[in-house]
Amino acid sequence: MALIKWVRTFAVMLPVVLVAFSARGADTVKLGLIEPFSGPIAAVGRDTLEIFEFFANEVNQRGGVLGGRHIEIVPLDNAMNAEKTTQQLRKVIDDDIRFVSQGVGSNHALNIIKFLQRHNRRNPDQAILYLNHSAVTTSFTNELCSFWHFRFDANVDMKVAALVTQLGRDPSVQKLYMLNQNYAYGQAFQVAAQQMLAERAPGIELVGDELIVPFGKVLDFTPYIAKIKAAGADTVLTGNWGPDLVRFVKAASEANLDASFYTIYAGIPSSVAGIGAKDGIATRLKQVTEMHENDPLYDQQPAELLDTYDRWRQQTGKSIYSERMRWTIEFFAAALNKAGSDDPALVAAAMEGMTMEGPAGPLVMRGADHQIIFPMVISTMAEDLERPYIYEGDNYEVAFATDGWIMSDAIELPTTCEMKRP
Amino acid sequence: MESFIFAMFNGVLYGMLLFLLASGLTLIFSMMGVLNFAHASFFMLGAYFAYQISEGLNFWAALIVAPVIVGLVGAGIERWGLRPVHRYGHVAELLFTFGVAYVIEELVQMIWGRVPVPYEIPDVMAGALFTWQGFDYSIYRVFMLVVSVAIFVALFALLTYTRIGLIIRAAVSDPIHVATLGHDIPRIFMWTFGFGCALAGVAGVVGGNVLGTEPAMAIQLGPIVFVVIVIGGLGSLGGALVAALLIGIVTRLAIFYDYGVGSLILALGLEIDTAGMLRDFTRITTAQVAPVLPYLMLVLMLIFKPRGLFGTRDV
Repeated sequence: MALIKWVRTFAVMLPVVLVAFSARGADTVKLGLIEPFSGPIAAVGRDTLEIFEFFANEVNQRGGVLGGRHIEIVPLDNAMNAEKTTQQLRKVIDDDIRFVSQGVGSNHALNIIKFLQRHNRRNPDQAILYLNHSAVTTSFTNELCSFWHFRFDANVDMKVAALVTQLGRDPSVQKLYMLNQNYAYGQAFQVAAQQMLAERAPGIELVGDELIVPFGKVLDFTPYIAKIKAAGADTVLTGNWGPDLVRFVKAASEANLDASFYTIYAGIPSSVAGIGAKDGIATRLKQVTEMHENDPLYDQQPAELLDTYDRWRQQTGKSIYSERMRWTIEFFAAALNKAGSDDPALVAAAMEGMTMEGPAGPLVMRGADHQIIFPMVISTMAEDLERPYIYEGDNYEVAFATDGWIMSDAIELPTTCEMKRP
Repeated sequence: MESFIFAMFNGVLYGMLLFLLASGLTLIFSMMGVLNFAHASFFMLGAYFAYQISEGLNFWAALIVAPVIVGLVGAGIERWGLRPVHRYGHVAELLFTFGVAYVIEELVQMIWGRVPVPYEIPDVMAGALFTWQGFDYSIYRVFMLVVSVAIFVALFALLTYTRIGLIIRAAVSDPIHVATLGHDIPRIFMWTFGFGCALAGVAGVVGGNVLGTEPAMAIQLGPIVFVVIVIGGLGSLGGALVAALLIGIVTRLAIFYDYGVGSLILALGLEIDTAGMLRDFTRITTAQVAPVLPYLMLVLMLIFKPRGLFGTRDV
């Protein structure tokens, strides 16, 4: 029996192996993916790699780029260590890889931007292009902007703009409490929110504005919940992610805090797993994303895309969470074809101003600062939806339902970028 | 006043949870002289076992069975791991427990994955026991308090009034004499280690569903437990209780009564520097530094009273 099973597995695997070998044999366009593949948050890096490989393979199956060449994803482990990110960049240079992507951790992104600025200036004929799929620090497309950096995720200010716009639309929001992590990202969230609340929702009273020690140092959020209760807040706005979000929401639910939670990152699968259906629904937990699987627009997407999604779910046992990673690959492939070359400078030039069709409106790669602009959707955790969260085969029996879309005109913010082109 | 009482309640509760953890650690230390770096890992194991058991059976079974399994695992690690290392001295033991902590974390990730598991408060205890002055006192938190107080009383009685307690205390102060009297010291060590781990396991069972059950929970809670036993005095059970409550209450009140450096300067009748070099300093509030306060207490304690509050031996 076991033998038959092995033979079957082999028979199934054979085409995959052959394709993999032929892809390696041919001249591929390599995209180095620098993420943590070891260490405490290796799961995030591995999820990212899985998405990149899957959608690169989709492009390759469609016929590849530049008349039949395949995109090859080269995983490069930085173990969430800034020094290792730099080491991997040296390896990228040594192996003559001309395109890199990264997104987990803005400090690593900053490292890459600065490294490539220097390297590309000194070695213009060996220039490397950086596709940032998730690092959200706003300054990367403002004062720190670079011709060699493209961002495929909304920056913090844009995400806050979307959240605050939705707050202004919701008449039940009267008294707002803000709580954020005390480091670069949390402080940026706080400053942006203060400013946009004054501009877009002046009727809302800010009854608390707090910074906490970040990264899981706060074990019990009950005293914060007591403060929120004492302040009479009906809504909480937080940029927290990871354990700082999970514990915050769980403590609020347990203390029966009657308030809605507006967040950015509630929908990350590990956070959904940690929070659970009961506490997420009790706190009317909301997220802001580029899309989600239970939006009414989901079924209106092109049929072949829906097929791809179905295959993804079947193959990986995971929900679709990060559309932006697929966009990164699609823009990359389209720019290669438009440039008709794998020269990073030409590809970068081709990518400027490029647009693609998104679920609710166009995705525009703004040429002025290399920041993508797209409509965003606010959604609330709910049960009994058509596509509940699945992760590695586990069904969480909960997902998000749309509150409303924020169109690009409300999200697009002016840039201070003065782009220096080579 | 009502919020003060709520903050105090939560402070005492958190303190008692810390005590459950620290009591096992301090018991092991006072007996064997081993600073068990893997102690918080047994706390994590308690939470994961409780999750697995409550999936199959229910929470009450988990409350009994999970600590027992954790205790047996601990005893096993002592018998086949720590005991052979013992003769190479305390540094070797310390390094051994350090390694065990990493092995346990990796094993937990292999078995239960890297994302948190949905270990939830049992439904019967989900609501509020009573609402007083606008604050909900949840059934589960009161239950946690009852469990931890009951364990403290039982532990105290065990060590003070029973024959086992007598032998343990004698073995702490004079192991050679106790061995001469015919007691099997290695066996006593093994069961003490197991018992200490089981106490951490209980903390994991009752705390895991409130704090979140994930692979990083041991690393996040580990340092604070050492702070508790150093402030309380290494090897002192009473000291651990006082220190744990102190840390619990001080950090809770610091968050709730959010006084800043700025308000202190105003109170002194001075002007706040809002633009100059000190502007970030004047914005610091007690809530922001609350998680660091225990470590500040640790540093001050080591400077001024290195033996801790009730300690009888040097760190």
